[in-house]
Amino acid sequence: MKSIGKYASLFVTVLALMGLTFLAIPKAAAQQDGPPGGGDADDTFNPPPCDYNNQFYADNGIDVANLIGRFGDNNGTTRLTGPPATGNQKNYVADSTCSTKDPNRRNFRILATTGGNSDDNNSPFTCASGNGGPNCVNQSFLEPETFEFISILAFIDNQNAFSSSYLRNVGLINGGLQGVQQNPGTDVSIGQTLEIAGQQIVEAPAQTLRGFAMQDIVSNFEAYAALKQTTPQGFALNPCSLAMIQQLQNPNATSVPQPCFPVNDTVVNGQIISDVATPNLRQDWRFATNRNAIDGSDNNDPVGAITGGVINAPFGYFCDDLLGMWIITYFWVTAPLNDPTCGPIYQAIGAKNGFNTDGSPIILTAFELNTELEANGCGAEAKEDPMGGDGGAVWLICPGIPDPRAGAIAPDAFLDQVRNSNGIPQNLITTINFLSLQIFGVFPNELTQGQMKKVMQAANGS
Amino acid sequence: MPGPKRMRFTRRNFIKLAAGAAAVGPFFVFRPNAFASEMTLKVAKWAHFLPEFDDWFINVMAAEWGKRNKTKVTVDVIPVEETHKRAFTEVTAGKGHDIFIFPWPPAEYHQHVIDHVGIYQTVAAKYGAIQQIAHRSTFNPNNKRYFAFADFWVPSPLHFFQDYWAQVGMPLGPVHYGGLLSGGTRLRDKLGIPCGLAFSPTLEGNVTLHSILYSHRALIFDSRGNLVFNKDVFAAKAVGYIQALCQDAGTSEQLTWGSGGSVGAMLGHKSSAAINAISLLRAAEKQNQDLARKLWIQPPLLGSSGMGVTALPHVTNCSVVWNFAQNQDGARQFLADLIDTSRTGYEKSLGVNFPIYPKTVPNIIVRLSQDPQANPPSKYTALKDALHWTPNLGVPGYATPEYMEIFNTFVVPKMVARAVKGESAEDAAATGAAEMQRIVDKWKQAS
Repeated sequence: MKSIGKYASLFVTVLALMGLTFLAIPKAAAQQDGPPGGGDADDTFNPPPCDYNNQFYADNGIDVANLIGRFGDNNGTTRLTGPPATGNQKNYVADSTCSTKDPNRRNFRILATTGGNSDDNNSPFTCASGNGGPNCVNQSFLEPETFEFISILAFIDNQNAFSSSYLRNVGLINGGLQGVQQNPGTDVSIGQTLEIAGQQIVEAPAQTLRGFAMQDIVSNFEAYAALKQTTPQGFALNPCSLAMIQQLQNPNATSVPQPCFPVNDTVVNGQIISDVATPNLRQDWRFATNRNAIDGSDNNDPVGAITGGVINAPFGYFCDDLLGMWIITYFWVTAPLNDPTCGPIYQAIGAKNGFNTDGSPIILTAFELNTELEANGCGAEAKEDPMGGDGGAVWLICPGIPDPRAGAIAPDAFLDQVRNSNGIPQNLITTINFLSLQIFGVFPNELTQGQMKKVMQAANGS
Repeated sequence: MPGPKRMRFTRRNFIKLAAGAAAVGPFFVFRPNAFASEMTLKVAKWAHFLPEFDDWFINVMAAEWGKRNKTKVTVDVIPVEETHKRAFTEVTAGKGHDIFIFPWPPAEYHQHVIDHVGIYQTVAAKYGAIQQIAHRSTFNPNNKRYFAFADFWVPSPLHFFQDYWAQVGMPLGPVHYGGLLSGGTRLRDKLGIPCGLAFSPTLEGNVTLHSILYSHRALIFDSRGNLVFNKDVFAAKAVGYIQALCQDAGTSEQLTWGSGGSVGAMLGHKSSAAINAISLLRAAEKQNQDLARKLWIQPPLLGSSGMGVTALPHVTNCSVVWNFAQNQDGARQFLADLIDTSRTGYEKSLGVNFPIYPKTVPNIIVRLSQDPQANPPSKYTALKDALHWTPNLGVPGYATPEYMEIFNTFVVPKMVARAVKGESAEDAAATGAAEMQRIVDKWKQAS
């Protein structure tokens, strides 16, 4: 790992901004019951992420047999090492406390903590747009948007992973004391015919009793993947998938221009390496979410009345998408970086956000992608074939960590983020936030100056 | 399509009544006065996809309202494809019906109608605020007046045949527009069955194509009402997508189907998917239960470029009271009272008409999940969040006169037809944009 000191200019800027932020909010630390990360029992109340158990997957409409690269499969060997882990690093560890802390989990605790940023201002931690969420008073303004930490538990390459029927009874009691206790229990069901309170209720295939299919719910949550466009043959301007090119880049394409960047999984040493594994990414993930409160308490408008406010979205990530799934939208630049039309646009965005190692700009927001790149013909996006024809990930099982503070980032977790070719993390702010959360359980703006110094020392070794 | 149904007081009826009255003697003495005081209310409405709804509207709802209000109500039912022309004729002549009911927002007639805000206010006291889809479909932001009154809307889910899509590995149907093209292509190659979305200059063609454009961020107007079509690459890309969808996965008939053409193809099991009102599935349930069992609905396809899951309403039922109407007070009262019957209207439309006022059908979610005609009965629950994925025509702005003229003169279907017939997507989009600009300029001059 190379020293961060080589990039002193950027790092000093980050440090200076951190310092400013810290100085601006001296009350943040004072609000704690004691020094943050001081070892109090209530400082680590958020459990670190673990994989879900098979039953929870099934209850939520996913057939685990069709998951690709699920952490912990094959007796704890699948993706134990390898991307995103490097060297002898492990992506997960066996941990018997997982299922005791949450019965929906199985005993593999996830160490690989993937960083990304939310681009739609709906994250509970969003402050960059100045829209003043409840956390913004004490929130750093450093991040152009907001970061997210997720656990990429598994990939889905084919629609077959969504169950069309499933039935499990919960709470059945037949016997009990003296054999008189009887309880028919409750059915967790998908696509079943049920008897409820003497009434027959028939669910449509793939739908739950609520009437939604998981596939449709997940369509409301897009994760944006930026695959590397550099290939041995040169800088590729399109994916190696005609169907993906036809979606937005060139609907009338009849062949795949060369060179192209691959969008299919590969197998290395018997292990499946997903096309969206971190080494294949040119920048960190972006997430478009609609994390609305179902009761409208965050000013969203659940019934769509004209008196309503901000966002009309039917589903909430943490309350409907219980597996934390996303549909992947791949995006790329479509012109040479020195293109007379697109080159200046790339430069302008890059000047603001930084550049990927291939020279393309880092894209952080929907505006940058949709309005600045795509609208000018300088970028495109597409989803992979839901039938698996492209051979790569169509969906992800990668739950966001609801609250990354207070223990959710365990001491042995590591940050999975895109690095420049010299090994330095592409986004140092994500690094610092991760370390602050990992070491002290709080965001950087809640640190004391001494704690900040420790975080910076740790970052220097990242 | 049912023919025009009239409740007019015809010459034949008059003679019959006169003869009967003469027989009873003294009654006839008073009737002339009674007739002189009885009001009339003339209503024109588009022909609903389900004739059962119009039967109820004419023979029960309107008739009973007439009795209660001592008003003779006549209802003329007009085929959808003639609605625009008939309305134009009335406006040009300055006479016609008191109420004219459109299946879309008739914004272009805003200078010829009353301000409908009073009707909304009357109803609000009983049923609360209107939904955003109604506000943006009937409000003119320039003059701050409501040019129409909306009482129901009809969502446009994706219909697809599960048996067909399962054969190309997608038993749950396509998820996004990319999958519709790639899966549809495979399906046509394998089975010879086209995907069959309507692209013709009809209501369903218009709604389908405008939905696809919007889902690909090919906006026609921005939120401030500025024409933005083809000002970026999205328009040409979207037209190119439709071109490819028709050529690779569709049929040339898509361009020429008349009203209900895509419905006919689906009911014949000759196409695999359609964007339509659920009257399509209702028709299948009525005609062929086995076919209906194979036909599923789902929320719209996921769009690109951040547009999410969205489809424009198949119908936004908008009533106007002409400013030349003879019985404006009666018309206002009729429309306000219409909301009291929304629940029955929902039932008579077999769940096609979604109420603008949710309180009128408070158990709509339960109804969707326990539909007596559907197999399985929960099939329609795919619509339970339809309000969230249905924006108004004119989105992201309002249904403006300019937008609605573009809609009603089928600028988009004509543009797509040119592209499918061989013009490049770029040229077709440019021609379409020029036509849109002409319409915008015309309205600028008129204002």
